[in-house]
Amino acid sequence: MKKITLPKLQNENLDEEIVKDSVFKKFFLEVYSLTIFTLHFFREVFKPPYEFNELMKQTFLIGYKSFPLVIITGFIIGLVLTIQSRPTLANFGAESWLPAMVAVSIIREIGPVITSLIFAGKVGSGIGAELASMNVTQQIDAMQVSDTNPFKYLVVTRVVAATFMLPVLVVFADMVGLLGSFVGVNLKGDVSLHLFFAQIFQSLDFNDLFPAFIKTFFFGFAIGLIGSYKGYYSNKGTEGVGKAANSSVVFASLMVFIIDMIAVQITSLYQN
Amino acid sequence: MKKESTNKIKVGIFVSLGITIFVLGIYFIGERQQLFSSTFRVSGIFKDVAGLQVGNNVRLSGVNVGTIDKIAIVSDTSVSVEILIEESTRKFIKKDAVASIGSEGLMGSKTLIINPGTGGKEIIEHNDIILTSQPLSIDDIFVSLKSTLDNATDITNDLAKITGNIESGEGTIGRLLMDNSMAAAIDSSIVNLSEGTKGLKNLIDDAKVSFEQIDMKEILLSLKTTMDNVSDVTNDLSNITGDIKSGNGIIGKMLSDSVSAQNLESAMLNLKESTYEIKLLVRKAKDSWLLWGF
Repeated sequence: MKKITLPKLQNENLDEEIVKDSVFKKFFLEVYSLTIFTLHFFREVFKPPYEFNELMKQTFLIGYKSFPLVIITGFIIGLVLTIQSRPTLANFGAESWLPAMVAVSIIREIGPVITSLIFAGKVGSGIGAELASMNVTQQIDAMQVSDTNPFKYLVVTRVVAATFMLPVLVVFADMVGLLGSFVGVNLKGDVSLHLFFAQIFQSLDFNDLFPAFIKTFFFGFAIGLIGSYKGYYSNKGTEGVGKAANSSVVFASLMVFIIDMIAVQITSLYQN
Repeated sequence: MKKESTNKIKVGIFVSLGITIFVLGIYFIGERQQLFSSTFRVSGIFKDVAGLQVGNNVRLSGVNVGTIDKIAIVSDTSVSVEILIEESTRKFIKKDAVASIGSEGLMGSKTLIINPGTGGKEIIEHNDIILTSQPLSIDDIFVSLKSTLDNATDITNDLAKITGNIESGEGTIGRLLMDNSMAAAIDSSIVNLSEGTKGLKNLIDDAKVSFEQIDMKEILLSLKTTMDNVSDVTNDLSNITGDIKSGNGIIGKMLSDSVSAQNLESAMLNLKESTYEIKLLVRKAKDSWLLWGF
């Protein structure tokens, strides 16, 4: 039996120090702790045995169960974006550009980011709260004692599931968002579905699709990792559970925007 | 256990559907860029591509048939543009086809427009170099527009001068429009003209009446006699001029015979000298004492 105690013990020590230290120092200690956690994840993810059953369970819970929420959000975003954009385009008689403009917005930015934020709210907080309550009730310690690698079983499966499920959800959100946009276009206009999608694919490029799709893997990874980290290293007590869930959402959402900013910079460098 | 497998199936369907949608998206975008259809490549050399970019559409008769694949600066005066065109449209593009750069609407991106060429020519081949025409840049349009505006300014200035002159009553049109005295003169001329025509009308009416009273036969007979006389006179005149031309008679000789003319001239000189001498003689005779008292 191999004990995976290093990150947990380190973090416990850090927690004690963090209380005493300044905000500035706290931040860098947190960054250090997260870096160690991430490195530990990469060490564990490729190492057998693989927890396939748990992974499948998590893909179901993280991916499939988030589907309705993402679909509804995507549809509304597409619809609202179209309705809101129409007056601006109508000002200079460019309403026929509406499908193209909305498509580029949804595929490039709105679809991935909004879905990721919804995902962070639902999944990130869920992972954080679940792992935190397991931590509070010492289930993680119990797993460690009973020859089960809690990091592999709890963290790796959730992070991998989140990394691979978010892109799939974003694809659905994009598609439903475009359908919402089609409804939005037809509220005050008359555009056939065929013409609508012809205009969309006319305006889209691989440069729009691939960078947006690739960055969703990073979004998913960040949300899963931060949720797991916040839950895995939560403070003891019921207060710690709420705090872990809350900070998971806040920190994961922030990371989504930071990753998005970096991705846009890299993409624009490549495109120019 | 059963629930677990159902969940796995759900996840499987969910992921498969997501991947299918993504692949379809790639396919439709790729189809636009001719990634999944047979294409052929041609290139063209432009002096200036006016902002044309890789991926811009290529149009033949207004239909998107290809995309710009590569743009490279060859030298300081030429830019090479490589074009991918659908193989199915190759038969419509001839060797003398001309590529030009246009715009997709007023604010749209640039597009390459192919003029298919003349019917009888050979079909364009793979890797051929297509003829090009230089794009009309916005700057050129502005330069042309400026000269047009300058001309328009000159014309309007001239028109302003002309209308000013007309208003101040200068020139014929100005006087015609603005000068009351001229208008009055024209008015009185028209009144005179009207009266004149009235008089003429009366005259014609009178003439009609007189004409009806005249014996037309008598007049015609008289006219015939007159015409006969005129004919005789013209015949005589014709004979005389014929004689003159042929040098017959004194006048004929004078006009056509140079010797006679010289003789006549010298005779005239002699006559002049003789009369002068006679004049001198008469004066001397007058002064002579022998003829005093006469």
